[in-house]
This record gives sequence, structure tokens and C-alpha cells, in this order.
Amino acid sequence: MIHRNKLVLGDKDLKDITEDICAPIEAYPSKGWLGLLTGALSIFIFYVIILGIVIDKGMGLLGVNHPNAWGTMIVTFVFWIGIGHAGTLISAILFLFRQKWRTSVARTAEAMTVFAVMTAGLFPLLHTGRPWLDYWLFPYPNQRGPLWVNFRSPLLWDVFAVSTYATVSMVFWYIGLVPDFATIKDRAKNKIRRAVYGALSLGWRGTAKNWSHYEMLYLLLAGLSTPLVLSVHTIVSFDFAVAGLPGWHTTIFPPYFVAGAVFSGFAMVVTLMSLVRIGIPEFKNYITLDHMEVMNKIIMTTGLMVGYAYGSEFFIAWYSGNPYEKYVFFVSRAFGPYAWAYWTMITCNVLIPQVFWFKKARRSIPIMFVVSIFVNIGMWFERFVITITSLSRDFLPANWGNYPWTFYDGAILFGSFGMFLTFFLLYLRFFPAISIAEIKPVLPVGRESKGVH
Amino acid sequence: MAKHGLGGIAGIWLDEHAVVKAAAKTRESGFVKFDAISPYPVHGMEEACGIRRSWIPYVTFVAGAAGLLSALWLTWWTSAVNWPINVGGKPFFSLPAFIPIIFELTILFAALCSVGALFYAAKIPRVDPPNIDPDLTSHKFAIFIPQNDIGYDEAKIERLFKDMGATEVKKLAEY
Amino acid sequence: MSENNHHDHDHTQIERNNTHWLTLEHYNNDPEFMKKAETEFQSSPLREGESENENESGWARREFLKLMGASLAMSAAGCIRRPIQKIVPYNKQPEEVTLGEANYYTSSYFDGNEGIGVLVKTREGRPIKIEGNPKFPLNRGGVSVRAQASILSLYDPERLQGPKYNIFNEKRSNKDTVGIKWDALDDKVVAQLKKGSAVVLTGNIASPSTRAVVSDFAQAFKADHVSWEPMANEEIREGQKACYGEAVVPQYHFDKAKIIVSIDADFLGTWLSPTTFTAQFGAGRRDPKKTSKLVSFDSTYSLTGANADIRFKIKPSQQLDVVMGLINALVVNKGISSYANNEKFKDSLISYANTAQKLGIEPALFAKVATDLWENKGQSLVVAGGLQTLTSRAHELQIAVNFLNSLLENEGKTVDGKNGNPGLKASYSGLERLIKDMSAGKVKTLIIHRVNPAYSTPKEAGFIEALKKVDMIVYTGDRIDETGDHATYMAPDNHPLETWGDAEFAKDVFAIQQPAIRPMYDTRSFELSLMTWAYLANVGPKRLITFETYYDYLRNFWKEEIQPKVAKSKVFENFWSEVLQNGYVGDFDKTSSPRSFKSEAFSFIKPASSSTGFELALYPTIQNGDGSSANNSWQQELPDPVTKIVWDNYVCVSIATAEKHHLKESTLVELKAGDKKVELPVHIQPGLHDEVLAVAVGYGRTKAGKVANGVGQNMYEFAGFNGGPVFAGQAVSLTKTSKKYNLACVAGNNSMEGRLIVAETTLKDYMKNEHAGVRRHKTWSIWSGHQYNGHKWGMSVDLNTCTGCSACMTACQSENNITVVGKTYVLQGREMHWMRVDRYYVGNPADALAVFQPVMCQHCDNAPCETVCPVLATVHSDEGLNEMVYNRCVGTRYCSNNCPYKVRRFNWFNYAKLIEKPMHMALNPDVTVRTRGVMEKCTFCVHKIKEAKNQAKLQDRKLKDGDVKTACQTACPTQAIIFGDLNDPESQVAKIFKDEPRSYALLEEWNAAPSVRYLSKVRNNDKETIDAEKGGH
Repeated sequence: MIHRNKLVLGDKDLKDITEDICAPIEAYPSKGWLGLLTGALSIFIFYVIILGIVIDKGMGLLGVNHPNAWGTMIVTFVFWIGIGHAGTLISAILFLFRQKWRTSVARTAEAMTVFAVMTAGLFPLLHTGRPWLDYWLFPYPNQRGPLWVNFRSPLLWDVFAVSTYATVSMVFWYIGLVPDFATIKDRAKNKIRRAVYGALSLGWRGTAKNWSHYEMLYLLLAGLSTPLVLSVHTIVSFDFAVAGLPGWHTTIFPPYFVAGAVFSGFAMVVTLMSLVRIGIPEFKNYITLDHMEVMNKIIMTTGLMVGYAYGSEFFIAWYSGNPYEKYVFFVSRAFGPYAWAYWTMITCNVLIPQVFWFKKARRSIPIMFVVSIFVNIGMWFERFVITITSLSRDFLPANWGNYPWTFYDGAILFGSFGMFLTFFLLYLRFFPAISIAEIKPVLPVGRESKGVH
Repeated sequence: MAKHGLGGIAGIWLDEHAVVKAAAKTRESGFVKFDAISPYPVHGMEEACGIRRSWIPYVTFVAGAAGLLSALWLTWWTSAVNWPINVGGKPFFSLPAFIPIIFELTILFAALCSVGALFYAAKIPRVDPPNIDPDLTSHKFAIFIPQNDIGYDEAKIERLFKDMGATEVKKLAEY
Repeated sequence: MSENNHHDHDHTQIERNNTHWLTLEHYNNDPEFMKKAETEFQSSPLREGESENENESGWARREFLKLMGASLAMSAAGCIRRPIQKIVPYNKQPEEVTLGEANYYTSSYFDGNEGIGVLVKTREGRPIKIEGNPKFPLNRGGVSVRAQASILSLYDPERLQGPKYNIFNEKRSNKDTVGIKWDALDDKVVAQLKKGSAVVLTGNIASPSTRAVVSDFAQAFKADHVSWEPMANEEIREGQKACYGEAVVPQYHFDKAKIIVSIDADFLGTWLSPTTFTAQFGAGRRDPKKTSKLVSFDSTYSLTGANADIRFKIKPSQQLDVVMGLINALVVNKGISSYANNEKFKDSLISYANTAQKLGIEPALFAKVATDLWENKGQSLVVAGGLQTLTSRAHELQIAVNFLNSLLENEGKTVDGKNGNPGLKASYSGLERLIKDMSAGKVKTLIIHRVNPAYSTPKEAGFIEALKKVDMIVYTGDRIDETGDHATYMAPDNHPLETWGDAEFAKDVFAIQQPAIRPMYDTRSFELSLMTWAYLANVGPKRLITFETYYDYLRNFWKEEIQPKVAKSKVFENFWSEVLQNGYVGDFDKTSSPRSFKSEAFSFIKPASSSTGFELALYPTIQNGDGSSANNSWQQELPDPVTKIVWDNYVCVSIATAEKHHLKESTLVELKAGDKKVELPVHIQPGLHDEVLAVAVGYGRTKAGKVANGVGQNMYEFAGFNGGPVFAGQAVSLTKTSKKYNLACVAGNNSMEGRLIVAETTLKDYMKNEHAGVRRHKTWSIWSGHQYNGHKWGMSVDLNTCTGCSACMTACQSENNITVVGKTYVLQGREMHWMRVDRYYVGNPADALAVFQPVMCQHCDNAPCETVCPVLATVHSDEGLNEMVYNRCVGTRYCSNNCPYKVRRFNWFNYAKLIEKPMHMALNPDVTVRTRGVMEKCTFCVHKIKEAKNQAKLQDRKLKDGDVKTACQTACPTQAIIFGDLNDPESQVAKIFKDEPRSYALLEEWNAAPSVRYLSKVRNNDKETIDAEKGGH
């Protein structure tokens, strides 16, 4: 049997774990946290105002035009949806693979998923010309009859995929939280706290029978989420792949997008975890460098996959002999007006992650933090490059036109982070950021003394 | 609130392995209605308590199947029967294009119904459940034998628990 | 008839004291009613806002009354229209006006050079569209951009709503403008006129009866009549005079010419009557096997040059060399005609001996042009003229051209002196004299009509200074524009759509101009003004002062002057109603009798000279013409057919020049000529001569209105003026500035990037293989596809006859209520045209050739847009139409992304809200006005299809080919666009889809299965294979 590093450091016992994890929730919020929250919240409010203006005046405020009918909103939508994937991947797929190390990061990763999907979900709704009619995208019986939706449209698939994904990952997350809520309730000193967390815990008691059903459900949800998470980004990629544009219409998109999603998602997890480790030093014992290193390995691997996808796109463009494809890749992307975006993407997504070949880099918080930021930037640009280079230079040269980036494009991209961070910070304050019930069983891992078989 | 005036005895343990053994012993001593309470799912507890494998997977399967069929019906009926219309020169019933929808609905139904099943099985949500010891959700483990169990005898049980290394034995008026 | 006389009777009252009577008490001038009426009768949609502070009436009733008055105005049979000025309640609904049905009235349009016969489409009494009159012998149904756009100027909110009086300060510049009553104005003017020495300054007058009125008036007050246009055709008339003894602008027959050589005569764009010429040109090219050949020597990149089979770039100073070179090639090198042994004559040609080298043209090519001309003698045509040829040697050029045509025996065949437009009398010499007289204080009163000299005269001419020496200036313009600002009195003329008139666009071909709506404001026709003044002064010929309306004058004139010429035998009333129904009477004089060339004229031509350095070439544009109608957003937002730039004028420079001076597209440069300076953005124009700087006139209006003010620079001021105007060949210098500017260009790319988009072949190749130039693809589908029983609509566009004139775009805009977004948004790529004309350059950039391709929604059977719309807002009809359901659209814009032709347009903002009253009256009620956030696109004029179907149903017959004509189709002067039912094997379009070898589907390999076919372009350039697409630049 191979020697395992401890998953939990600092010889904690069960009580300590409970204490440590509940501490941030029970202590008075730190100045740092309040500072961050005010910052995030003000960005969020700014974001809401900007969106209000756009809804009031019209999409014309953004750079979207003819031929680039999609722009920042869709790009950022794909970006956030992608981010979400890491969470589900960690909590579901790694769970199925019985990766015990996942437990300490799963909770926060899932939270990230939920918030990322919420942030993303707004965009497809708001980027329509008449957002107040978005409910028309759902097939509901109506008096205008017979009048239904077009199940052939990838956008409709999106509606179903994203809403399903949002629902299931939220449920999955919540189910995981239930026993921990019970813990907090039982520790609660004051009435309100007890009442609130009591309600959240649904009156969970943790009898053996309950646990057996609970574990079964958890397994099932993990099993369901796994194909779901793969399907979601596959379907998002269909928005492009099913359309006929050169540079969009390719079969490689689904795997390529999923890899990209995991890539960006893990980068975001690393970014956040590094911050959490700084913000709540006690968590260093639970979110250890080993955890970070594993995630960095995943980042590098998926980074290579994405790089491979970039390469194969070029190959296929050349190999197919399709003049439109060739133009988009060999002229537009590599050397066209958006070459700068393309090469930014390559640098951030393919070159920079290569530093993770070195163990030092993999285990150095500053380095991994910087790299993860770069990857996030790169992945946003990947979506930008895909969307804009293809739209701006398609079939009939007479239609070509660039994307006139406006203030609103920037504001919306920026503001979406405000929304995400606000939710995330609130989560850190009010929810147990590490799964108490899940971390305890893995306590013995790597401990000779109480080593379990 | 839903308290059925039913008392019993609970033993509290601090060690995971001890409580598993205790549970096994309790079962051997013929008790059937007893329950073990732990802050996290303890390995081997099911066997020890003789709990049968959860039936939730059947719910999941049936719900999934239902989801699949209803999605199939929805897409077919709306686009081929109720309102057949020429879209992009494609057939009215363009099955390949409907598969993503069908898939998503399958998952959705399966997941939500499974959760519903858990709620049913674990009798949650439940307001203000009895609490033997607040630390049972933190670092303590307990075995509880209700007074209506076969051969219920407080003294005997207390001795049994003590022998099994219970750190404390509580008599509860109600459960 | 009694009824009519009755009308005419009221009519007098009406037009004289310029009110209209509503009820009897009004007619009997019940005083306090009159008080109310004062305001009542200037009712206009514009006043809607003001109306609330008026105690009575209010807007709704006014609109109703006005519309009613107008609709009633149409009562009568067929296309006849009587000038009924009464307003009558709707319970007496005129039988001919049916709510929801359009009425068409024959009329005519004249822009100072071009005259065409039109049909005015009206709905509930509102003119909403202008189409060509298919019967009209000149334009044959074709219509120009500006003719169609003129509907918008009728509803221009900035039109004057009544006579005005300008108060001047001591410096004779406008201090304040006040309203004035017509009778007050009349008194003042008459008093002034009585002092004598009055001058009437007008543009070209195509209307014989207006000419009569003006001459009567001149006679009455011993006044002079000076006729001037910025685009006067003096050079042609003078040339004709010198060579053939008569100062006429001849009629040209491009359809009869096998080879056409144009030296800077942009006859397809802006020269004389382009619509007519385009129609003729198209007729000569419809069958590629018998196609004509167009050789263009082009100093600007004109539309004519863009359509040339062979295009040579020259600079203005070389125009004469070209013609003389050709003469030399024929007479000296080939020894053709009697002149061949006239040594003296030959000597005069020596200096032109090696023109080809001088022009940098391959001598063989140049010689070939001469040979072609000779081989087709009698069937060839050499033309030169227009602003682009107004160099200091314009006169010589005309003589040379005339000589060449005579030499080639084209005179009397393709050049026809008998059927010219007798109205084209405008001259700069006349203007020069006028200016002299004015500065000498010899002019007491100046009446200016239909020209805007303060804007469109060269600075050097010093018109404005001279103007200040005139006691009283009366201006009939429809706004206080550059000239109006100097006028003492504004006596606004009616809009042509509001007033009676006639025209003679070709000798003895008389057209009628019917009003289609009651005058919207308190305006009065120019003719009636003159008549009124004569009447009040009680001077002048009888007819001038007897008739009480211009309408009566007109009828009488037709009775006495015109009918005798064209239809003696008929009863006048019948003749008259026929004229109104056909819109014209009379025809060309077909007898051909060549006029003999006065050889002495040739002695005017001096030996060749040569110059170096930049030459300025000023040119009018198709969209804006001479700029008189510039305050028109349809015109301003129509992309220039060649440069595809909107909302600006700019300096066109060649690629080499740009490189030499390190100029980028739209960097600002300063042009200098003498003391004249102007700052303009640069447009890098492929195929331009390296020593030419070309700039458009008709921009830089300062007082035209919201739309036109400050758009571009006024280049009229820049033109030279010493013994005749110099619009071309002026020596200018160019200096780069550091400033940056933005030109709004709708063309994303100039090259086809080697893709098969516009299929093109040469005549030689086509003769070998009719499929030449078209690449066919094998496409297949995995299922059988939907069946279309009943109708299946389709369209074909012949790229060989399409000249890119863009009339279709304006037609579409007018028909489908397409909004204008303005320069800022065009820069952001937000233009809304449903139909666009793509222009690509082919061949090597330095002398690139151009191809045009109108692209509208292709109504694909496998429409990619439909598949991706989540809410089924765009779906396929069972007649093969790709339908767009506005009120279902939520605006995901996915359809636009997935459209390979990118023909869909999105309402980024609520544009409809911006339609200013009374512009909304120009909207077509058959077409929804789109709200914000919905996608829109070409519908194949589905409302016209419905209309035609209903017609057929009412007449209980099947729909037949030609019943449905789309807007673009009706407008097209060359009938390049054909629309019809593909399921009807007999329809023209079905035949083209089935049998025409030149037809191909755009992006066929993409297999969207479009319902539009393009017919490949055949270039008649003696080459084996077309210059391979070297990708423009």
C-alpha cells in the first residue's frame, strides 16, 4: 500500500474539526471580510444599474452589431458556465472515483459552481432584444395556440441544460450541507441562529438509517451530475457547433469546451482557495498544499488538452480544404484584427500553465495564484476569439465588420465579478466552507497511529 | 412537535470503532428497534445495525424513465402533432435535435424525485427533533433503545452499554 | 362637367386668397369664422404639438380633415385627378378611394437634368412611394434613387409652412425672419416689380407651360430670364452649336450602340438622364451573345467606369487626348474617311499621335478601341460630358467628340439631335452676365426659382457679394437655405407632389405632373405667384392674367399649344384624360437624318498640352446629385455605389498616392488651390489615376436642415470660374494633417478573397461554354424535404445587367418603412437596409475593376436562421417564404449569426420612435413598423404577394406571372431583378432556375438551398479568361 500524506494536518480530533470549521461562522466577521464584502457589493450594485440601463435603452449600448450579433454577454456567459464545471467535477466525478482528498475543497468548489451558474444564467436572459419576453423560451401551454418553442434550437437546449444544471447542482450542494447545518444548530447559543440553522438542517438527526439513505442519495446525485455536467458544456458548445459559421461548425467543440471548462474552473478554484487559505489561516490544515498541487496538475493537464484542441482546429481547417475555415484560422485568428486576442489566449492557456511541470511551482501559493489568474483571463479570451473572429469574418466579405467595444461591454464583464464575489463572500461567512460531516471520515487517512486498513 | 411519548435509553460513545462494536452487540442481544446516531456516516454501521440497502435507486430509475418518456412525448406532440411547421426544411419530428432536451429532462426528473425520496425516507423536514446530546452532530456517537423494544430492561441495557465502554448512559422520557 | 367648372370657380377664390373653404359660412366669409380659419387652414401634422393651446378642434380632427381633403382630391376615374379643394365629410366617400387600397397617379419627376415619368402611389390620400411609369418612353419603368427619395422631402419637417419676410441688418445679412400673408407679400413684390429691371433666375425648366408662364411674365415686366444649374450642360450645347449649328442637348441611344466609349461621361450614374440611359444600356446587354461593349476612360471611379468592360484610368487633362488619339488612330493610322488625305487636318493631329504612351495605356489596347469603333460604325457611340469634363478645354473636347461621332457615322443614329431635352438651357455664361449686372446695380428685383446659387456657385464667381446689391430678392425655395438667407421674401413653391405641372423631357414627348396631395402648408406654386403678380399689376399677355389658377393656364396651354402638335383630331377632354392616364403623350421622331459636321469647328482644337501634379476632379454623386435635395436621410444613408461610404464626401486618392504620402483611410488632408483651402478625409480608391484627387460636390450644406447640415464640405466653392466653370483639371496641392476622421463605410472588405461570390466570365469564354465562370457543387440531403404545392416564390438577379445604381435599395427602403440610423450607428455596423448592393473589386488593385451584387434575404429552403430560433419567430411558409414574425421575436439574434448571407437586421434601439412628424405619413401602412429588439429582413414583399392574390381572387382568376412585382424589381431600370412563382413552369423565373446556364445559387456548397439565383456577369473584354481574383486590396 502506497504511503498517503495526511489529508488533515495538525493532529486534529473530531471536536477540533467541528470547532475549526464553525469558527468563521460563529465569530464576529473580520474587518478584512467586511472590507471585501463592501467592495464586492458596490461592484454588484453598479452591475445592477448598468444592466438596468441596458434593458431600458436596448442592446445597442453594447458593441454587438451586424455581423457580430453576439458579443460580451454571450462570451461572458460561456466563461462563467465554464467556471461552474470544476465544482461539480470535484464534488461528483472525484467522488465517484473515491478521491478522498476532494472532501476538503468540494464544498467551496460546489458553492463556486452554484454562484458561477447564477452569474452566467443572467446573460442569455438579458442579452435578448426584449428581455421582458424571455419566458417565451419555455414551452408552456398558452392561449396564442398552437404556439410552442423550437426544440431544434441549441438556444432552447441551453435553456433546458442550464436550468437543469443549476437546479441539480444546487440540490446536490444543499443535500451536502444538511448535516453540517444540524451541527451548527446544535452548537448554536442564541435562539435565532438555532431557529435559522435548524430550519436549514430540515431537522436532520443522523441516525444510522438516515445516513444509509443519505449516502445512497449522495452517490446517485453524483452519478447523475457527472453526465449532466458533461452535457451542459457540450450543449453550450452546440450553440456554436450547430451553427454553420467557419470556426464554429466543428465536431471537436464538445470535448474541447468541456476540457476548457474544467481548465478554467480549476483555475478559479485555485484562485479562491489561495484566498481562503489567507483569509482563514486555520483552513490551511484542511486545504493543504497537497490539495493545491493536485489541482495544479489537473490545470496543467486540461491546459494541454485545450492546447491540443487549438492545434487540431488549425489542422482540420487546413485538411478540410474549406476556404472559409482556412481563412478564419490562418488569416483571421492568427493574423487578423483580433490576432492580439488570439495570442493572449495562447499565452495564457497553453504557455503559462507549463510552469506546473515543476513541483516548486505546483506547491507555491503565489505562483499558482498568478497562473490561475492568467488562465482565467485566457479562458475569457478563448470564448471572445471563438465568438468574434468567426462572426466578424464569415462568408461574404462585404458583410465583414469588427466589434466596436463600448463602455457597457466593459462594465458588464467587470460587474459580473461583483455579483459572483458578493455571493461567495456571504457564503464564506454563513455556510461551513468545508464539509464537516465529510471531512471527519477521512481524518485517519495517512495517520499511522489510527490508520484504518 | 411530532413527538410520540416514547422513552428509552441512550448510550454515548466517543470512539467510532467502539460504537460500531456496541451496535453489533446490541443487535446480538436481540434488540431490533434500536438506532445509532453519529455526526457522520460511520463505516460498517449498516452491517452492525443490520440496515437493508436503501431503496432510493429504484425511485431514481423510475423517475428517470418517466422524465425520458414525457420529454419524448412533449417534443413529438408539440412539433409534429399540435403545431407541425416547416423549420429550416427539417422534418417535423426531428428526433436527433430533440435528444438534448430528452436527456436533460431525464436527469432533472431523476434527481428531484430521488431527493424527494430521501425526504420521505428520513422523515424530513422535521421541526425541532429530539436531541439526545448536542455533541452527537460534532464528535459523539450514541445508541438508543426505545422502551417498546423486545426485552427492554433498563438495568440490563445500562450494564450492556457500560460494558461496551459507553462514556455515559442517558435515560430519556421521550423520543 | 358642371361640377368641374364649379370647382375651378371655387378654385380661384381659393388660390387667390389662399384659404380653402370648409363650410358655406366660410365661403361667404363669415368674419369670425374666418378668424378661426386663419389658423385652421395651416393645419399640418407638424402643428400637432402646438394644437393643445388652441381652444377648439385639436389634432385628431385636423389630421382627419387633411387626409380627407387629400383623398377626396383623387376622386375621378382611372388615373385622372381634379384639383378639388373642398373638404367633404366622409359620408360622401369618393368611389375611387378605398381604405386599405393604394391608388397610383401618373406624374413626372425632374431634378434639373434628368426627367422621368413616374407613378405616385398613394394610400388614403397620402403619397407613400414613387415608382417608374412603365409606359414612359424614356425610363421605361425604371426610377432613380433621388426620384424615390423625393417622397421624403415632401414630408420634410423643416419645409417652410408659409411665405416669410427676412429682416436684414445694414450689412444685408439676415437678422430675423417673420411670417407674412400672401397678399401682403404680393403687394410688396408687385410694387417693386413695377420699378422694372427685374430678373427671373431659374434652373432648367422642363415644363413647356412653365416656360410659357416665365416668358409671359418676362414680357409683362420687361424682365430677363436667366437659366442656370450647377450641373448645366452648356458645354454640350455649345459643342453642338459649333459643329452642327444648333445649340441642343441631343438624345443618346445607348441601346443601339454595340460599342460605347465614355470619356468621363458618367451616363450610368449622374450624366443627363442616367435612369433612361441605364435602361437603354441594360437592353443592350440583356443577351450576352449580343452584348454591347463599354469602354470607359475614367478620371474619377464613376459608376460608368465600374460597369465598363474595359476601363482606363486617366486624369481630367487627358480627356481631349483620348478623343484626339482615337481620331488620330482612325484617320492617320488607319487612313479612314476623306480626312485621311487632308494633310492640313492630319498635321493638326500630330501632337496627339502617341496618346497611348502618354496615357500609359498599352498601344495595342488603345488601337483596338479605335478598331472596334470603326468596325461598328453607325452602331457605336462616343460620349463625354458632365462636371467631370468641365476642364478649361471642355469646349474642344465636345467638338472632338462630335467629330468622332460624325466620323463614325453615329450622328443621327446613336446620337440624335432631334429628340433632345429642350428644357436644358442652363448656362454659366448666363449666370456670369447676371452677376455682372447685379454688381453693377442693374438688377432691382431678382426672383430665384429652383436653384440655390448662394450654395452651389464657385466662390470666385462672387455671387453672394453681387446679390447684396439687389433691392429685392424673392426666393421660391421650400426653406430658408443658403440662398433663402439672402432673400427679402420667401414665396415658397409647392412640392412637385402637391402641384400641377407638365414636362417635355424629349422634344415633343410631353409628360404630365399630377398633384397627389393637397398642399400641406400655406405654399403657392411658382407659376401662380408669377401669374398673381402680373394679374395684380395688370400687365402682360392675356393668358397670363386671365387664368385664375395655374391649373387652368396649364390646361389651356395643352389645348392650344400641345394638342395640335400630337393629337389634332381628338376632343380635348378625351385627349386630356388619356394624357392623365398614360402620364405622357407623343413619341420620339424616329426618322434618322445625320446632321453634317462643320469642319471649321475642328480648328478650335489646339494642339495637345501636358501637365503633371495633382488634378482636382469634382463629381456629383448618385445619392445626392447636385446637393439640392441633400436634406434627405434616405439619400445620405444610401452607400455610394462605388465607395460604399455614407454621410460624407472625401478625397479619393490612388493607392500609390496614399503610400507616397503615408495616408491611411480617412486621415484628414488639406487641399489647396490658389487661396482656396478645404480639409477632407481621404478615401483610398483602387483604380484611380495617381495624379487625380476626386471629390464629390453636393455636400457641405450649411442651411439645408438637420439632416444635411455639416455633412461633408462644399466643393462648389472650390470650383474654378474664369470664362466658364472649371470643375475638373484644376491644379491642387495636398498636405497631410495629423487629424483623424471616421468615414462610415458599409463595405466590410473590397475583395472576394478568392471565393465564388460574383461569378464572372469573359465573352470569349462564354461563347465557348455558357456555364463559364460558375462552379457547380453536388449537394445532397439525408431526407426528402418538404413539398411545396401551390406557389413557390423565387427571384433571379442578372449580374450582367445590374449596374449597381442602388435604386432597388431606396425602393426597398420606401416600400418597407426601413429606418435610417445615422452616421454614428453606421460606423458601428448598425445600418438597416434589407437589401444591399455588395461591391467587390477584381483584378490588380492599381486598376481594379468592379462587380456588383444585390443581396437580399435568399429565402432558403433549408433556412439556417429558422433552425436556431428558439421561439419559432422565423419559420417557413408553405410558399417557400422565410417568414419573420416580429411580435414573436425576443431578439436572441442567433438567426443573424447563422445566416451565411448576413441579410438580417436588428432593431438595436427603438428607431420607430424617432420618426419625426410628418415623416410618418411616408410610411407604408401595409408594412409593420418594427419595434425595438426584434429582427427584420427582406420579406420578398409578402404584402404585395397577398395584394396580388386578393386581386386575382376578386377577378376570379389564377395568379399569373408578373402579377407580383417586388419593390426592388419595379425600381430596377435594367429589369435585372425578376420575381415569380417557381411552381409555374411558364414563369420567367422558373425558366431561369431550370434552363439558364448562367444562373447559380450564392454559396451553393453551403446547401441552404436559397430561392434566389444570380446570373453570372459576362465581361466583353476580348480576353480569354477574366483577371484572376488577385484580391483587391
